[in-house]
Amino acid sequence: MPSQVFPEIARVDARDKVLGQALYGADINLPGMLYAMLVPATIAKGRVGELDVRRATETAGVVQVLSIGDFPTLRPEISFLGQPIALVVAETIEAAIEGAEAVTAVYEASPFVALMSSPGAHRVPAEGFSTGDVESAFQNAATIVEGTFETPTQHHNPMELFGTVAEWSGGRLTVYEGCQNVDAVKGALAKALNLSPDAVAVKSEHVGGGFGQKSPPKIQTALVAQAARLTRRPVKLVAPRGQVFHIANYRPRSIHNMRLAANAAGRLDAISYDVVQENIPDGGFRSTGYHEDIARLYAIENFRATAADVHIDRQMPRHTRGTHPFPAGFALESLIDEMAHKLGKDPVQFRLDHQAKKDIIAGQPLSPHFLNDCLTEGAKRFGWSKRVPEPGSMRLDDGTLVGFGVACGIFGASMSASEATLRVRANGTTRMISSGHEMGQGMLTAIANVITQGLDINPDRLEIQLGDTTRGPQIATVGERGTASCIPVALKAVHALRAKFEELAGSNPPAGNLHEQLARLKRPYIEVTATELAPGQDPSALKAFRSGGRAGAGPDYPGFTSMSYIAQFVEIHIDPMTRRIRMPRAVSIADIGRVVSPRTAKGQMYGGVVWGFSTALREETEVDPRFAGYLNDDLADYVIAVNADIGNIDVGLIDQPDPRINSVGVKGMGELVMLGTAPAIANAIYHATGKRIRKLPIRIEDVL
Amino acid sequence: MQGLNYTFARSAEEAVAQFAGAGGSARYIAGGTNLYDLMKLGIERPAHLIDVSRIDGMDAIETDGEVLRFGGRALMADVAYAPVVRDEYPLLSQSLLKAASQQLRNMATVGGNLLQRTRCMYFRNGAGSSSMVGVYPCNKREPHSGCSAIGGVDRTQAVLGTSQACTAVAPGDWPVALMAMDATIETLGPQGARALPIAEFYRLPGDTPHSEFNLNPGELVTAITVRKTPAGRRSTYHKVRDRESYAFALASAAVAVEMEGATVRAARIALGGVATTPWRSSAAEAVVTGSTLTRELAIQAGRAAFADARSGKQNAFKIELGARVVADALIIAAERRA
Ligand SMILES: Cc1cc2nc3c(=O)[nH]c(=O)nc-3n(C[C@H](O)[C@H](O)[C@H](O)COP(=O)(O)OP(=O)(O)OC[C@H]3O[C@@H](n4cnc5c(N)ncnc54)[C@H](O)[C@@H]3O)c2cc1C
Repeated sequence: MPSQVFPEIARVDARDKVLGQALYGADINLPGMLYAMLVPATIAKGRVGELDVRRATETAGVVQVLSIGDFPTLRPEISFLGQPIALVVAETIEAAIEGAEAVTAVYEASPFVALMSSPGAHRVPAEGFSTGDVESAFQNAATIVEGTFETPTQHHNPMELFGTVAEWSGGRLTVYEGCQNVDAVKGALAKALNLSPDAVAVKSEHVGGGFGQKSPPKIQTALVAQAARLTRRPVKLVAPRGQVFHIANYRPRSIHNMRLAANAAGRLDAISYDVVQENIPDGGFRSTGYHEDIARLYAIENFRATAADVHIDRQMPRHTRGTHPFPAGFALESLIDEMAHKLGKDPVQFRLDHQAKKDIIAGQPLSPHFLNDCLTEGAKRFGWSKRVPEPGSMRLDDGTLVGFGVACGIFGASMSASEATLRVRANGTTRMISSGHEMGQGMLTAIANVITQGLDINPDRLEIQLGDTTRGPQIATVGERGTASCIPVALKAVHALRAKFEELAGSNPPAGNLHEQLARLKRPYIEVTATELAPGQDPSALKAFRSGGRAGAGPDYPGFTSMSYIAQFVEIHIDPMTRRIRMPRAVSIADIGRVVSPRTAKGQMYGGVVWGFSTALREETEVDPRFAGYLNDDLADYVIAVNADIGNIDVGLIDQPDPRINSVGVKGMGELVMLGTAPAIANAIYHATGKRIRKLPIRIEDVL
Repeated sequence: MQGLNYTFARSAEEAVAQFAGAGGSARYIAGGTNLYDLMKLGIERPAHLIDVSRIDGMDAIETDGEVLRFGGRALMADVAYAPVVRDEYPLLSQSLLKAASQQLRNMATVGGNLLQRTRCMYFRNGAGSSSMVGVYPCNKREPHSGCSAIGGVDRTQAVLGTSQACTAVAPGDWPVALMAMDATIETLGPQGARALPIAEFYRLPGDTPHSEFNLNPGELVTAITVRKTPAGRRSTYHKVRDRESYAFALASAAVAVEMEGATVRAARIALGGVATTPWRSSAAEAVVTGSTLTRELAIQAGRAAFADARSGKQNAFKIELGARVVADALIIAAERRA
């Protein structure tokens, strides 16, 4: 039974970041480096008939132009607006831009489907899921609520753009690029450039925000590498934000039809759920995934889900922070509120009464979970008891409408096979070779906490290496599995190192800290390597992990399922005259298993509420169906929450280990933290105004 | 990005002479917060930039005499925080402080602000620059190419002063406040100096949306003047936007009132975020003038301001929102101590 509690330590990379010393992909400058710029297609679908690069080639400073046919990804067939049709490489960034602007193309355009609502769009059914007897539950239902919920296309927009620097040396390629999965990028590069994987290195030591945007390999990376190969010089590409909107993945628009049945005793009995999303054929974001997590949130026995895609002619949508449980949870948590209201029950108590008993998807028990503790603690901190249930009944003196809202969230606790190598030296230094990626979420700090708690070492001279394929295999840092994958193995390494030292030192160890002890024992260093698997995982997963394959497991493990939980409470104010919507405060409490790094975990919690607020009230990528491009493709027009939008946020963590998932009891939180905010806001708006709004983002015109 | 000439002018006369020497493709540049942006987007491609941000004395802020006088290159931040402006003309100060961000206001000038160009997404994203995918026809950017916003994504487009050719919103906040205060624009051009009322400075789009200002080529904005009036104290610039800061207006109102007890003796009302130019509403002013200001009357005034409004697919809400912003602004202004 994991019992260790972790103290709060400062973020270990804070100093470097504040001093501007943390280097991101685009910060890398190499001698003789050239600069590249992509040329985007200006049609959504069709063919490039002619491409004229003559003027680009003649532009002063331009060194090389790669165009259609020069590389497999520079294809004449166009399947989305903004698809790269050329790459211009020059001595300066200015010359590269000028050259890129000088490229002209003649297209043979084809008809296209830009949106789910465009003519020609049709539903392509996907696999469904069913358990229990939904039909009879609805037939016998005493109360039914239903609604159609819609969430918009949204782009991740991390601060860091796509920055790539590629360099060749003796037939070997090194790429610097912020990403969430260096091994996948390495594999993709080896394949695209016909290299042995051993000849490729990918370095991504700091990532300026991922949120899912940086998990799949990118179309431009191999192109930059090819440009560097042809020019025999290092090449840098930083795609401008307008281009990133058009080549990056994004959260697909989705529409959710959901019905909820309660029996005569006022207990939830069944959910019937249909979802349809925009997608491309064989897209990497499955419409079949929406029901999976939310079906585990409450004790509702009968559940039927159907799913479909509508194929559109845009680039591929993919995982975006909160992934499936965000839109699905918006629907479910809005309807739960509606049901509670209809039954005359308090929405917090109603949720407490429906604590999940088992995982109805895998048909097995859930590991110990603490959603009800989150709800109770949140309600207490928020002052939920002051809520007057009747919608529109709470006002400030100046007439401002006040609404209180609550909603929960759930996310699967997955893990990956992983490895860690720890070396403590007599010279006072310690080096940990871990896997994973530091995206600002606090991975380095969490690992440092485990090491410094377990070993008497010099914390200032601890170096943790990750996000670099030359150090060792790296897990895909996605689906909030990073900490759960890297921390148990780090702890195992700490224990192994201690055991090794004890063996070495015998019954009478010398005095001092571990470095001093080693020096006195005349040992320059000791080193251990530890590996760890997810519960019940076959050891072959380690092989997959080492060769860049799929090494993840969960959240359903043999014999049990593990999930992370969150409860969020918000207060919403609506201006009586102009109807401006504001959120003066929020309370967010989560069950993420054992908290390994309290400071960075709290940072995630704050950030999650901000992100949740932004998805609820601000962000939508605008697509004009006549063009299939993104109109608001910069940070002035793609409206993200600013400081002035955010009121007081109070966060809390239950800090109860999940004894079944791993030796530390740690689950995950990176995605979870934004779940619940949006439905809590929608529910608070209902409480303030009596109006149900079933689409995001909610805007001033929706409450006018 | 093409190479260009960059020169500094020490005096207004020198700037005008440099412009005449450079020919058609020259542009004045002050803070550069809009012009550089437009150059990166490929919308502006000047061959010669004449930097007016160091012209001697053109940053003066004079508040002692009968008129307030702001040099064309005075910074937005400096004007906003000038004590007389801050204390006696809240609408002027607020219109600047509710615009952009502190960093931008520290760079941007009150003259450049008058001439900033629309934020219409079709205008900005269709020029063919490598950083954007240039596909959207726009009459303002390329005369007679068509307007993509009409029949397109039009939530933020104008509802007043639109034409068949253009519905782009005039973006600036400051010009709206100046419109309410009947400001005068002083210029120096190849034909000499002149002063024109701000009401004559902006052009409706009509058939020629590319022509936005009644300014001749090479004409430099040297100063902006506002006749002093006690109405300035009871004033506000009220701005509603898609987030609480760092965004252009969905609807805004610059309002100044002179009160006699609860009765409005005179009112100045101008609108932003909803029209193709900074928009003075004499209809709204007429509703409240001579009457006791109530919430109902304030809303009635707001509605009057939008009597001629025309909406597209998604922007009809601006008519209701705009009316309420005017109403709220009237109440806020009237409640201010004179
Ligand atoms: C992210 C962002 C957000 C913003 N938000 C807002 C907002 O909310 N509200 C708002 O009102 N504004 C906003 N702005 C716009 C900003 O206020 C303007 O860009 C600024 O006022 C322009 O002033 P400048 O001195 O930088 O002009 P420049 O960019 O230097 O010039 C702009 C134009 O004016 C011309 N010009 C400049 N000075 C003179 C002169 N003296 N005589 C003749 N012509 C001249 C130039 O040739 C050019 O055409 C925002 C800008 C940005 C980038």
